[in-house]
Amino acid sequence: MDAKSFATLLDPAILFFFLGMFAAMVRSNLEIPAPIAKVLSLYLLMAIGIKGGVALSVSGIHAQMMVGLSIALFMAFFVPLYTFPLLRRKLDGFNAAAIAATYGSVSAVTFIAAGQFLDNQGVAYGGYMAVALVIMEAPAVIMAVGLAALTRARLAKKDVTVAVTNTARDHGAFSLKNILHESFTDGAIILLMGSLLIGVIVGEDGYKVIKPFTGDLFKGVLAFFLLEMGILVARRVREMKGVGPFLVAFAFLIPILNAVIVISLAHFSGLSTGDTLMLAVLAASASYIVVPAVVRVAIPEANPGLYFGMALALTFPFNIVLGIPLYYHVIQAF
Amino acid sequence: MRRLEQKKLLTLITSRALEKMIIETLRLRGVGGYTVVQASGAGSSGLQSGMLECDSNILIYIILSEARLVTLLDDLDDMMHRNYRIKVIVTDISILPRKIARGSASDE
Repeated sequence: MDAKSFATLLDPAILFFFLGMFAAMVRSNLEIPAPIAKVLSLYLLMAIGIKGGVALSVSGIHAQMMVGLSIALFMAFFVPLYTFPLLRRKLDGFNAAAIAATYGSVSAVTFIAAGQFLDNQGVAYGGYMAVALVIMEAPAVIMAVGLAALTRARLAKKDVTVAVTNTARDHGAFSLKNILHESFTDGAIILLMGSLLIGVIVGEDGYKVIKPFTGDLFKGVLAFFLLEMGILVARRVREMKGVGPFLVAFAFLIPILNAVIVISLAHFSGLSTGDTLMLAVLAASASYIVVPAVVRVAIPEANPGLYFGMALALTFPFNIVLGIPLYYHVIQAF
Repeated sequence: MRRLEQKKLLTLITSRALEKMIIETLRLRGVGGYTVVQASGAGSSGLQSGMLECDSNILIYIILSEARLVTLLDDLDDMMHRNYRIKVIVTDISILPRKIARGSASDE
């Protein structure tokens, strides 16, 4: 690792993440109140959305954008498709489907950290990446709910005591329409897409007015937010003691594999370094906000301690500390 | 003083992610009044820090008659049978009934 990418570990935001982890490990009472943490995360989405929108207004719609979005969509379907049978070797169908959904979907905070990494390296990326993030949110969870339904039906056939007759469909939790609604009306998605659209409308001139808030404060807010994430991650790590080596290896190796698949596809499609890294990070990240909340309703049989814990306590810190610089090096080595 | 009325207090402890689904069930059973309180804690689903949607708990309080309680318990039992993680607590309570404004009809 050269000095420049080693410097990512010395990025104030990453150091604050470590500080948060340290505080939780020594059981400090350091805590950011939940409503403030929520404001920080909303701010980050707004800032990243408007920045992407402004970049889009300058670049316009181009062929590279379509290629990038196609790779994003492909990965959103492909990841749950190949991870589900892999997970089935060790887990029941419900937990396998839930974890496959989590890893097929994306983490906005990891995406934001990757954008920050590229800014530090002086590498640009396309504004359409925020669109890629949004389209990668839903497909995995839809597939996983389908896989869980198949598992339910199969168990019912075997005459195991499973309540199939009275599924969550009765409560409106199971339908495709509901999942799409939950995924696309989630507050984070509405804010991100809305900010992107506003960025496109106002363009560079309009951005100047709002930049002192959404641009100049960004790094500081990200550092503050990652402090909170560090606390959350360290608390959750303590809960992961019962997770076996298979799932721990899954949480670290699948992100690398997904990133390598994206980097190969992007290389042959001629995408820029910045776009390739952002897509690789999207494919490598696992959702710990939207998908776990939907899965909790749609696949109640799965253990949230597993799918949520792996995404938050293992894959998220791995990606922001080691994964992002690692993927960047692989892209440069190609 | 007016006479106290005997009612049931149903307390549910569950994930915030299940809130919409449970409130919809209450609505279908004609229960319109409830109180939701944000909570944190720990249990078989692990730590519930109250920071993210998926690791936040809620407490739902519902005051209702015994007749309504029985039908609602059937629904909750059905949800628990489908592996939804809900703690259901029933308590006998006495409440000072709502005072009916003079001239208006009771909606009970």
